[in-house]
Amino acid sequence: MKKEKIDKNVPFEDYLSKLESIVKKLEEGELSLDESVKLYEEGMGISKICLEKLDSTKKKIEELVIKGEDKYLLKPFTMNDKENKSNEF
Amino acid sequence: MNTNTGAMIYSVSKITQYIKNIFSNDDILQDAWVLGEISNFKLHSSGHMYFILKDENSQIRCVMFRGNSLHLNFLPRDGLKVKIRGSISVYEKRVEYQLYAREILEAGKGELYLAFEKLKNTLKEEGLFLEKYKKPIPFTRKKFAVITSPTGAAIRDIISISMRRFSNIHIVVVPALVQGINAASDIAYKIDFLNQHFNDIDFIIIGRGGGSIEELWAFNEEILARSIFKSKIPIVSAVGHETDFTISDFAADLRSPTPSAAAEMNIPDKNQLLNNIYTIKDKLKLSIIRNHEKKLEKLKYLNKNLRYLSPENKINQYYQFIDEFIYKSKNTLKNNIKIIEEKIKKDLQRLDALNPWSVIKRGYSVCRKIPGYQIVKKIEDIKIADNFEVIISNGRLLAKVDKKEERQS
Repeated sequence: MKKEKIDKNVPFEDYLSKLESIVKKLEEGELSLDESVKLYEEGMGISKICLEKLDSTKKKIEELVIKGEDKYLLKPFTMNDKENKSNEF
Repeated sequence: MNTNTGAMIYSVSKITQYIKNIFSNDDILQDAWVLGEISNFKLHSSGHMYFILKDENSQIRCVMFRGNSLHLNFLPRDGLKVKIRGSISVYEKRVEYQLYAREILEAGKGELYLAFEKLKNTLKEEGLFLEKYKKPIPFTRKKFAVITSPTGAAIRDIISISMRRFSNIHIVVVPALVQGINAASDIAYKIDFLNQHFNDIDFIIIGRGGGSIEELWAFNEEILARSIFKSKIPIVSAVGHETDFTISDFAADLRSPTPSAAAEMNIPDKNQLLNNIYTIKDKLKLSIIRNHEKKLEKLKYLNKNLRYLSPENKINQYYQFIDEFIYKSKNTLKNNIKIIEEKIKKDLQRLDALNPWSVIKRGYSVCRKIPGYQIVKKIEDIKIADNFEVIISNGRLLAKVDKKEERQS
């Protein structure tokens, strides 16, 4: 299968709409065998990228602490109130 | 009609009309603000409102008709202190004067309300609320920031809903004051700070939970509105409850009725996205299979056609034609031979019938002159004393002519 490069700058929905247009082309069925195989492979590659993109973010809840004009740090955020002592979030 | 004293006597209607004219010719009574407390409030099903406005010493009956009451952004209730703008006129049926309310403002909130309206109009005229400046909230939600109180219900709701919808999302919580005199500039500063130092934040939610108009006031301040408008990062404004509208809401790229709704509206449901992709993958597979099947069918069809049109087929046809030709020729030939044979047979029979021997066999005989063996057919063919032979079925007789007798015919 043809390797699609994941472009970080291309947003998820662009890949998704590309994928949808590929399916549409394939469903219309007016393609040559070679073309349809090529499109299929491209589509499978893109769907893989889409899935990877959805998992690319790590769960993280941070608190921004501003230290000065241009200084800041990020520390894990925890709810202060009693209901959330369990650190569920 | 005169009394015996000569004074003018009016009917009730006439005097009522007179009083009414006095009211309607008075500038103050035509457009007055009256401060008081609502009591006996009744909202009629027609949409008209009837109530009494009172203070410690007096009271005045009030009515607000549906056409005006529709514009109210709160529902008046008993005990509420209000400022009412309207005209005072006479209700002829009961000869009572009453206040026909056109506008009702909650007293005490009036100053804030006027400030709100003034700022709203100024910013609106400047174009800060125009649709064309609204940035779309991006679909890819990897990282977003929330500027709010770190201890409030708003941040708790946003985090829990976000986690439920997209478990691996990245949230940056930016603690800020959300009420009090410094709140607006604090939030504004943090919006600016995020814009300066972060380029990977998809959007910022600013907001807080519900509260009184004073508690929400930071979100009605100009400094915050301008910071929202200036922000390159799209801003979602999520302040208070559904019914609370703030200047921030108007200036933001998206207004969310509540902080929870901000998370619901802007964090995609990951499961749904995954399902979408799986569905598309299935469609891909199905369509490629269908495409192949279609091609295969076409191939089969062409193959069939090709065989039908191939020279081999033609040659076979020729073979068959030749075979048939030979078969036919053979038959014809056979027939012809048969016919000829028949004919010969018949001819032979006829020939047989003409064979002189067969006549002789039946008892006829032939005379031949000797010598010369000429057949004697007529009496002139032979003379007396000539020799001749008589041929009969099993031999010949030699004889001499004694006498000739001609048969008279």
